[in-house]
Amino acid sequence: MVRDANFNDEAPQAEDVGPSDVDLVIQAQKGDVHAFDELVERYHGRIYGLTYNMTSNREDAEDLTQEVFVKAYEALPRFKGKSSFYTWLYRIAVNKTINYRKKRNRKRALSLDQFDQEIKTDEVYHDLTTKGSPLRNLSLSELQIKLNEALQSLSEKHRTVVVMHDMQGIPHEEIAKVVGASVGTVRSRLFYARRQMQAELAEFM
Amino acid sequence: MTDNNNSMEMMEEDQVDPLLRQLLLLKRYETPVASRITKNKQNIMRKVREISHRKHWNLGDLLEMNIPWFFAEPRYGIAALFIVFGGLQFLGISSQKHATGKTGIYTSDNSIAAYDSSGGITATNSISYPQLPNNLELFALPSGGDGSIIPAGRLEER
Repeated sequence: MVRDANFNDEAPQAEDVGPSDVDLVIQAQKGDVHAFDELVERYHGRIYGLTYNMTSNREDAEDLTQEVFVKAYEALPRFKGKSSFYTWLYRIAVNKTINYRKKRNRKRALSLDQFDQEIKTDEVYHDLTTKGSPLRNLSLSELQIKLNEALQSLSEKHRTVVVMHDMQGIPHEEIAKVVGASVGTVRSRLFYARRQMQAELAEFM
Repeated sequence: MTDNNNSMEMMEEDQVDPLLRQLLLLKRYETPVASRITKNKQNIMRKVREISHRKHWNLGDLLEMNIPWFFAEPRYGIAALFIVFGGLQFLGISSQKHATGKTGIYTSDNSIAAYDSSGGITATNSISYPQLPNNLELFALPSGGDGSIIPAGRLEER
């Protein structure tokens, strides 16, 4: 199963099958922890995906995901609903992750989740590894390490937009709200981040 | 100008190497171990419950949750405070007037106030003062026709 489904596709589905985020937030603000559990179930995958791709370290990602939800619960009385809950939650996650990395002050070793076996049935993967691509001689784990190293070579700001847009499918406008920048700045960061990644992965392209 | 910038950015975005885009999409297949994710969720929920039990919502939080409009629009909040203050003032004045009219112990000429065990204050009959004659004099008028007052020291001289 693919973890990071498209940002726009997943939110309405989640709300269709149960109470809306707004209702759950109001109930949680009144002290209903079960309502907050539902929000954890709803957004855990996406927040873990964000922190994992930002750190390329699953232990750090688990710690950060926990910190993000705990922080959100503590800050819930001050949530005014001016932005959507997931935008607010993503903002907490991005800030927490960037601060976490600054505190650590040096890069941690990679600790990666396994590729799902479904990848072998993916057309893109098939094309990359069977045709005349330089990647054809690369094992799956080698490919994974190269990708994550290239991602970690980016600055925090650039990595944030690449992870949110290219991996999680979040539109520019939403990213702009989360990172507190204009849409133009988000596009510009995305452009430079991709160029840098292309340079990092030049031997395979 | 802004439109030009946006269209340039769009063009730049379209120029992304399709191979890079495909490689990045492959990262979506990195899947965490299900048991670790379940444990992580349980840790979050346990932590939330600990906080919930420990947390004593302070007055500010409670007010903010129950009357959010008060904090969202401070001018309305201040106006509401004035109204409440004015209302309390009015109630205070009104109750003061009411108290002046009702409270106090009144008895008839022949009665004094006494505590009633049923909780109320009632007037009961008691011994009344005797009627005094109209010509009652507490002190006799000076007699002897000598109205002069002799200083004490000179009495002995006499």
